[in-house]
Amino acid sequence: MNRQELTNLRSLAIDKQQKYKHKICVCCGASCISSGAEAVLKKMQDEIKARGMDQEVEVIPTGCMGPCNQGPLVKHMPDNTIYQKITEENIAQIIQSQLIDKKPIEDILLFADSREKPFVNANEDPFFKKQLKIALKDCGELNPESIDDYLVHDGYQALSKVLFQQSPEEVIAEIKQSRLRGRGGAGYPTGLKWETVYKHVNDHKYVICNGDEGDPGAFMDRSVLEGNPHRVLEGMTIAGYAVGANKGYAYIRGEYPLAIKRFELAIKQARKLGVLGDHILGTDFNFDVEVRIGAGAFVCGEETALIASIEGKRGTPKPRPPFPAESGLWGKPTLINNVETMASIVPIINLGGEWYSDIGTPKSAGTKVFALAGKINYSGLIEVPMGTTLRQIVYEIGGGIQGDAPFKAAQTGGPSGGCIPAAHLDVRMDYEALVNLGSIMGSGGLIIMDDSSDMVDVARFFMEFCMDESCGKCVPCRVGTKMMHDLLQKICDNKANSNDLQRLEELAIYVKETSLCGLGGSAPNPLLSTLRHFREEYDQRISKPVVNSY
Amino acid sequence: MQKKKIATVWLGGCSGCHMSLLDIDERILDLVKLADIVKCPIVDGKELPEVDITLVEGSVTSDEHEREILHIRKQSKFVVALGDCAVMTNVTGMRNYFHLQDVIDTAYVNAISNDREGQLPDHPALLRLNDKVVPLQEVIKVDFVIPGCPPSADVIFYVLNEFLNDRVPDLSDVKKLRYG
Amino acid sequence: MTTITIHINEKEYQVAPGKTILEVCRENDIEILTMCHLKGIMDVGACRLCLVEIEGVNRLLSACTTKVGANMIIRTDTERIKRYQRITTELFFAERNHVCSVCVANGKCELQQLGYKVGLDHIRYPFLYPQCEVDSSHPWYVMDHNRCIMCTRCVRVCNEVEGAHNWDVMNRGYQVRVISDFNTPWGESITCTSCGKCLHACPTGAIWPKAIVQGQLNKKPEIIEELMEKRAMKL
Repeated sequence: MNRQELTNLRSLAIDKQQKYKHKICVCCGASCISSGAEAVLKKMQDEIKARGMDQEVEVIPTGCMGPCNQGPLVKHMPDNTIYQKITEENIAQIIQSQLIDKKPIEDILLFADSREKPFVNANEDPFFKKQLKIALKDCGELNPESIDDYLVHDGYQALSKVLFQQSPEEVIAEIKQSRLRGRGGAGYPTGLKWETVYKHVNDHKYVICNGDEGDPGAFMDRSVLEGNPHRVLEGMTIAGYAVGANKGYAYIRGEYPLAIKRFELAIKQARKLGVLGDHILGTDFNFDVEVRIGAGAFVCGEETALIASIEGKRGTPKPRPPFPAESGLWGKPTLINNVETMASIVPIINLGGEWYSDIGTPKSAGTKVFALAGKINYSGLIEVPMGTTLRQIVYEIGGGIQGDAPFKAAQTGGPSGGCIPAAHLDVRMDYEALVNLGSIMGSGGLIIMDDSSDMVDVARFFMEFCMDESCGKCVPCRVGTKMMHDLLQKICDNKANSNDLQRLEELAIYVKETSLCGLGGSAPNPLLSTLRHFREEYDQRISKPVVNSY
Repeated sequence: MQKKKIATVWLGGCSGCHMSLLDIDERILDLVKLADIVKCPIVDGKELPEVDITLVEGSVTSDEHEREILHIRKQSKFVVALGDCAVMTNVTGMRNYFHLQDVIDTAYVNAISNDREGQLPDHPALLRLNDKVVPLQEVIKVDFVIPGCPPSADVIFYVLNEFLNDRVPDLSDVKKLRYG
Repeated sequence: MTTITIHINEKEYQVAPGKTILEVCRENDIEILTMCHLKGIMDVGACRLCLVEIEGVNRLLSACTTKVGANMIIRTDTERIKRYQRITTELFFAERNHVCSVCVANGKCELQQLGYKVGLDHIRYPFLYPQCEVDSSHPWYVMDHNRCIMCTRCVRVCNEVEGAHNWDVMNRGYQVRVISDFNTPWGESITCTSCGKCLHACPTGAIWPKAIVQGQLNKKPEIIEELMEKRAMKL
């Protein structure tokens, strides 16, 4: 396959799609599947066929569309009409009304049960209108199991562009110009990381895509991998070209069987097409990708532990320096980027670094995907420009708190993050702003809590998670998280004294500063941030007088 | 100068610390010039009066100990945890890895010396064991600790002598600090 | 030979590049506390006792795994480091069941020595009292998990020096345990060569020979380094 053949193939695929007058997308994201989307998809396909409409109506499964708690979702294209909570009983009605009579069905439109006037064109609904989809673009509109569909959506055009028009240095310059920062949590500048790996001269280099998403309540990477696997694969291949690597690993957690299945299928399709493997698009560039399945340890999301896991060793972190960019997988220079970062590469190459850097805030460019969950009316997967305020996310996109209860806090960054209180609802969400509030951006988990939430219990919950997930290698994390958990439990049980609180704070700072890796280093964050913003809840439970201050 | 009052108490321990206290030998004559020993398991003394310093051997293992240590705290200006049991539960705490009932059964019912006729002691005058043994500092505020099993007579004498001369002893020296 | 200039505790040193901060400090009699470090085997930076402050680096770095760099300004003796060393030591004691008075290593234990060095007279955190096994299935040796501090020196010695890889680690968090083979009794191990190097590498009384009683243990951790040096000479 060379460049011309790719263009021809794409034209063919476009022609084929244009034959259809309608496209019915059935959301087959994890949440919709769990509420019965697969049965809806099958029924829809059967029904269309039975009515002899399969020449003009294309029915496809897609990745996550976003409003997850309204599923199963069915979208009609080109009208962009989304129907919610669809069961097999609704199918005949949708076909009759939407496809034949061309009349939308008001009472099953998206958010029909909560909005006075639901929108026929879903893009006009505030849930979507306030969003800007870059990493998630196409996710929810294309069939993740079809490489043809990906080609129609400009698939592999970015790869073709870099291979034939750009040198590795130019690709890196483009990424640097975009000011993209790692979406895994720490926010390290992606271009700089690529450049570091590029500069280390070695016969063997590796690209790793980190899909070991382990935060409770987070499903961003999962949705991208399930909804648009080729986008990630293309991003990895471009990364391989830029840094000079010939081998990539996609480390996907074992709890995501569908993501693994679709990504492996994508690899197979890409190899067959010649956009992966030896002599990609007829050039001298070779790059292949292998899937490695995580075995369930949260700590394997930490890059050095992930590398150990790929090497077949016990997944425990190593002290840095040396950083993976210098000595990573099998001691070779290794680039590790998160799934969402990899998914952002293709649009940056296609539309330019300057375009991307104009979105967002001065220090954090682009968009961020959040998994919106908790006591919020519309939970699901959203993507907003950096700098969107928390208030906009909660009240405009998320439709406010369930039952109009008062907003109490938003938990960001999962077990490594913290809680943002109501006083800071107008915070513009970017890396620095969240750190200033004692939280972190993290991978994008966003749990909204109302006034029924007990903040000490929230801290205890996340500490329990870290205690169980600590790899046990270094003392502060292994014993410190256990001690902190026991002390928090004591406070929850109203058995603590002020000396316990003092011990707890001392331990929190100690564990944060002395732990070997980011898991321990950030494990005290939920505790510290709830202490900072909700100290009175701790004080209320400290009843006993001090017995010991020695 | 008014003479100070010293008491020593024996909770959940083996009395080894008190043996070590006796090992200060003739130096006790120097101490009694400065203080009276008003209560001690080795001498007689029914009640704990208000004292300046109480040395407490052993950890808190029962309801009786808990009552006693709280009383000691009330009566003493200065509480010193004497020996590893009082400081970190030591051998006394080795039953903490097991369920209390298993420990009692092993001692009173299943022990070979009981000829299989052992019975659980059950008399209202007896103390009731707590589920877990804890060091003194988990129950009261402790003012000074002397680890060691037992602490050497030299260290005990040094600490008492410093206190009685209104100085604060310092064990951080490696030679004075000892566990086990 | 080229040297680089570094500063440790406000004193200037000329050192060979490529060495770790720990090596440089030990050569120059600057005390750095360690537990998981043992000369002759790889460093893992797990005990966090050797943490040092480096100017311009916002994290504390372990001296055993960090190499010296030109013009590095290192501090090993700040109040913060001393405070953290004490907490680490306390956590070591509180984690498992360390009863010095009945231990074979009493008086010769590196954990006891560490406690004395940081001036630890009592432990401020509640003891965890976990239930730990004592594996005495091996004909000559005993593994007592009550006294194990998870420094993994035995694991590394067995793997790197003896090449047997009898020891490894299982579980996560505070439930981690050193295991023989696939968590089978040590006496049934098919990989253990009974060489006894793990005994000498162990800093506490966790691994010991059956022939001895309380306080009688005499370990020689330095033999590991001697062995590796002699092997290197042969090459």
